This record gives sequence, structure tokens and C-alpha cells, in this order.
Amino acid sequence: MTDQPSNASSVKLGLAVAWPAFWTGIPAKIAFVLLLLAAGLPPWEGVGLVFLLLLSIPIDIWAMGVSSRTVFLERLRLQPPDGIGLTLWWQSALLNVVYLPLAYFIQGYAKEGSKAVAGKIMEIGLIKGLPVAERISIELTLWGTAATIALVALILGWLSLFGWIVRRQTAGAKAAEASYQGLVRQWDLMRVPADQPLMLTVFTAVGVLLVVALWSFMPVTTPHPHEQYKKDAVKVEPPFKPVEALQKTEKLMAQAEVALQALEEQKAQEEAKAKGKGKNTGKENGASKGAAGAQVQPAGGAAKAGQAPAASGQTDQRAAQGAGGQKR
Amino acid sequence: MNGQPTAIEKIVAFVDERVGLKTLQAKMLNEPVPGGSRWAYVFGSVLLFIFIMQAVTGILLMFYYVPSADHAYASTQYIIHEVDYGWFLLSYHFWGSSAMVVMVFAHMSQVFLWGAYKKPREMIWLVGLALFGIVMGFGFTGYLLPWDQRAYWATTVGVEIMDKTPILGDFMARFLKGGPTPGQMTLSRFFVIHVMILPASLMGLAGLHIFFFRKAGPAGPFRGTSEELKAKTDYFFPRQIWKDMVAMGAVFFTICSLAFYEPVVLLEEATPDPGEYHPEPEWYFLFLFQLLRLKIFAGEFGQFLGAIALPGAFMALLAALPFIDRSPERNIFKRPIALVGWLLVMISIVIFTVSAIINREFLD
Repeated sequence: MTDQPSNASSVKLGLAVAWPAFWTGIPAKIAFVLLLLAAGLPPWEGVGLVFLLLLSIPIDIWAMGVSSRTVFLERLRLQPPDGIGLTLWWQSALLNVVYLPLAYFIQGYAKEGSKAVAGKIMEIGLIKGLPVAERISIELTLWGTAATIALVALILGWLSLFGWIVRRQTAGAKAAEASYQGLVRQWDLMRVPADQPLMLTVFTAVGVLLVVALWSFMPVTTPHPHEQYKKDAVKVEPPFKPVEALQKTEKLMAQAEVALQALEEQKAQEEAKAKGKGKNTGKENGASKGAAGAQVQPAGGAAKAGQAPAASGQTDQRAAQGAGGQKR
Repeated sequence: MNGQPTAIEKIVAFVDERVGLKTLQAKMLNEPVPGGSRWAYVFGSVLLFIFIMQAVTGILLMFYYVPSADHAYASTQYIIHEVDYGWFLLSYHFWGSSAMVVMVFAHMSQVFLWGAYKKPREMIWLVGLALFGIVMGFGFTGYLLPWDQRAYWATTVGVEIMDKTPILGDFMARFLKGGPTPGQMTLSRFFVIHVMILPASLMGLAGLHIFFFRKAGPAGPFRGTSEELKAKTDYFFPRQIWKDMVAMGAVFFTICSLAFYEPVVLLEEATPDPGEYHPEPEWYFLFLFQLLRLKIFAGEFGQFLGAIALPGAFMALLAALPFIDRSPERNIFKRPIALVGWLLVMISIVIFTVSAIINREFLD
């Protein structure tokens, strides 16, 4: 499968270098695309696009070097010139600056033109009466064929020009004298780095870096929440502190005790006043009121005598149990 | 370095003595690849990698997913909105299934164009076709599980298509649905098929596929002189493994990028009323769906013809291919019928898939 540089067509030569170079660069570029997407920077516009294009420069130079050296040795049996990757890259970059905008314009024109023509063909009586599904497929086939032909022609044009650039590099290249097996060995060894442990270390380090970057950039929950999915409002409860809770409960109980005592004293005073009034208003009712007062008095008396502290103690115990329960 | 074996070396020697580890390793890695390693050979390994990743993400999703009609939708929403990185896992699993279908097409195309299905590799081809069916089955059964309108109606359409198969169709449709309309029984059955039956079948058949492949050996390139082939012939390790790993990395990055670019967003919860939604299957069945919209395939017989007879005949033709095409010529440029046939099939799939997308816009 040896091609003489003078005999090989420019398209074939261009394809032989550009196709593997494209695929060689893809894995590294996709890794960066992923990182940009994870960081929320779309790689097809703005800063993301600039970043991706800048990162693509060294990748493309390297990829073009690898694939062109292989083609020179294996297909053309020529010694690849030094720095061929860089040379091919800047020359193809110049070509792209001129050719790609032109190709974009021509392709757009071909697509719109073929769509318009296909639309007019679809208005012809016989075709117009066809069902929708048939019409869609026929119209698509019509304009799709024309647009694809234009695209293929543009790609062939680019490959031809790029092949011409590659051919210029063959002019000054020396013939490779080794046997075919020797040449295969030479281009094979060219792809294997001299310091393999260093390459593996760098490769692993970059891999770890990419993984860390990916997980740190990645949102924890979806960046596109469903419009009907309502998240429950999160109520952050203060942390439970048993000692403070006990102190608070004791304070509350003490306050309640004071309040209760005050109420009882107030009640006793009111009763005492009422008794005084009763003595003055009539002695015939005094017996029954005195009995009622005697029924109330022992309870108030008992509270004063020490039942309240006992109740308070029980409450503290319950609070402590409650605290334990809550903690559990 | 006193010449004494280390603890690890002792363990390796112990295992090797009992299971023949070193022989196994030599058999696995020192397989000669005629004509040397190539990027065109990576698709099979990439498929295996995607399947492993699908299994890993699928298992992680099962920790949260509830396969019941009452909870499937809510649990999927929970995975997307509440579980840490759940949205990414689900989106990766979703795009991974599409990547698997694309890779199956790529792998089958490569084998077909390289003429690698020919003698003595007929069995590899046949098992590969069965694996293709399993991958499509994974896509079909997995699509229902989120239980949203898209899932419900894609399944309804799919089961209706299946119903048109003569003799077995009615039974298969009733078995899958488990009732007159998709419901709890449908979900349970699809779930079991998706997470139990299909993975087990795939693992078994993939093992058989690889066994047959190692038995027959790689076919190698379809052109080149014997001198060139001899000069380039290399072992599977390290160059082909390196290429496989790079391709796996590229596919992994692509799936992750797609998960970021277009994460899974559910539609409304499944109901028997499609409402505004126009039912359609997953993208890799769209060409068939669009084909059935053509007038030629209208009516009961037409639907049978388009949905069952044509795809069935195509699959039968693929299965019979190694026995029909007995010529030893493998160069695709010297097999014009095969080349034109492959191009026609691919162009038809593209045209009808794009037509279905345009038709969707027309309906909307």
C-alpha cells in the first residue's frame, strides 16, 4: 500500500493525515468539553468556546504530528521532516480561516436553496395530494440529497487543499531506506514515549485532577428542577442541649411555683377579706362559708408545707426522661 | 532483594498453582491481532464497558427506585431532586442506553463491512445478533420505568406493535401488559425483565460471543499484502488494549457530557389520557414508527407488514447472511451489493428518523 507522493491524489493524502488526526485529538478534547460543561461554561459559546479553542491548539499540533509521521513512514516511505505537526497545523489554520467561513456560507446557501426548490417541487399537483408522512420524507430526501452533495463537495475541496499542504512537505523529505518491517517499527516506536514511567505518572496525575475537578464542579442536585416538583421547606431545628433544657425547665417550674404561691396568697387574702365582710353582714351564713373555707385551706396549707417542691422534683425527672427520649 | 518471594508473589503463586492464572493471563493478553491493532476494533470492548457502567449506575439507581405504579414516578423525581448526584446517575444511565445502541450499530457495521461474519465466524455473528436484540430489549423495557407520560405512551405504542406479530403477538402483548392498559403488572414485569432476565441473558451470551471470538481469532484487515500484515501483526496487549481504553474514555466523557448538556427531565406522571402529548417511542425506534405512518403500511395488514414482517425478514436475512454470502472475499470495495445494501439501510434509517422528528414538529 505504498503511495508515491507525486502519484497520490491530494484528497487521498489529505484524508490519510486529517482523518486519524481528528480522532487522535477527540478524546482529550471531549475531556475538556466535559469539564467546561460541569463548570457551567457551554463550550460552544463565549468563554467556554475560547477556552476550548485555545486548548485545542496543542492537542491538534500533537495529533497532526503523530498521524503525519505515520503516513510519511508507512505510506510514502519518507523520513518525516522535523516539526511537521506544527508546520501542518499553522498552514491548515490559515486555510481554515479562509475556507471554513466560505464553506459555511456556501453550505447554508445550498441548504436553503435546495429547501426552497424542494418546497416548490412539493407543490406539484401529484405530490401535493400525498399524505403528510410521505410528503415529509420525500421533501427531506430531495433537499437532503442536494445539501449532502454540497457538503461532500466542500469536504473534498478542503481535503484537496490540505493534501496539497501535506504534499509540499514531502518535497524536501528524504527517502526512508529501511525495510517495511523496519519502518513499521520506527513509526511504532515514535508513538511510544521514551520515559514511560514519567508518562504513566503524568497520565495518572492528570486523570486524578480531572476526576477531582469534575466532582467538585458537578451540582449535587439537578440543575434543571421539574417545574411541578415542590421541595419541602426545610425547618432547621436548633440542636438539643439536655443541660440547658433541664435548667430552663427548672427555671420555668420555679417561676410557676412563685406565680402559684402568689395566686394562693392572693386567694387567701380575698377569702380573709370575704370572711371579715361575712362577720359584719350576718352570722346565719357563717357556718356554711366556714365549712367551704376549711375544705380549701388544707390543700393550700399542704402546698405550703412542702408538696410543691416534691411536684417540682417529679417534673424535673420527667423533663430529664423527655430529654433522653428526644435524644434517642 | 534477597531472592526470597514477597508475600504478594506467594499469594499469586498459590492462586496460579490452583487456577492457572498465568496461563489465563497469557491467553487473554497475548492473542495475536493480524495486521496489528486498529481503532476499528474497539467497538466490542467499548460495548462491554458501557454495559458494565450501565450495570453499576443501574444498581445505584435501584437503591432508591420503587417499581410500583404508585411510587415509580415519585421515586424517580426523588432521585433527580433529592439524592446526591442522583440526577447525574440517572442521566448517565439514560444516555448510556443510547450509547449502547449506537455502539451496537457501529460494531455490527464494522463486522459487516470487514466481512468478519464469514466462515469460520458464523457463530460469533449469530450470537451477536441475539445480543443486538437484547440491547434493544434493554432500551424498550427501561424506558417505562420512570412512569411518566413519555414512558407510558412509548410502551403503549411498542406493545401495540408487538401485538401485530402472528400467533405469538397477542400472548406477548398480554403477558407484558398484564392487563388491558399498562399498570402495576406492566411495570413489575418490565422491571423484572430489565434488571433480571436481560442482564443475565446478556452476560451469558456476551461470554459465549467472546469465547467464540477467541476460538476463531480476529479476522484482521480486509486488504494488504502478506508482508504488510506480517510486519504489523501484534499481540492484543498493549496496543489494542491501549486503543480500547482511549475509546472507552472518549465514550465515557461523551456520555457524561450529554448527561450535563441534556439531563433527564420527566414529563407529567403517566395517565391513560395522553392529553397534549403525542406518543412516540425512543429515538432508535423512531424510523420504524415513521415507516408505519406511511400510507402503504395503513390498515391491519399494512401495520403487520411494516411492524413485523419487514423487520423480521431483515433480521432473518442478517442471520442467514454468513450462509448466503459464501465468497471468501472480504474487501468491502469488492463486494458492491454489500456496500450498497449497507448504505441504503443506513440512509433509510437516517431519513426516516429525521422525518419522524420533523413530523413531531408538524404535530406540535
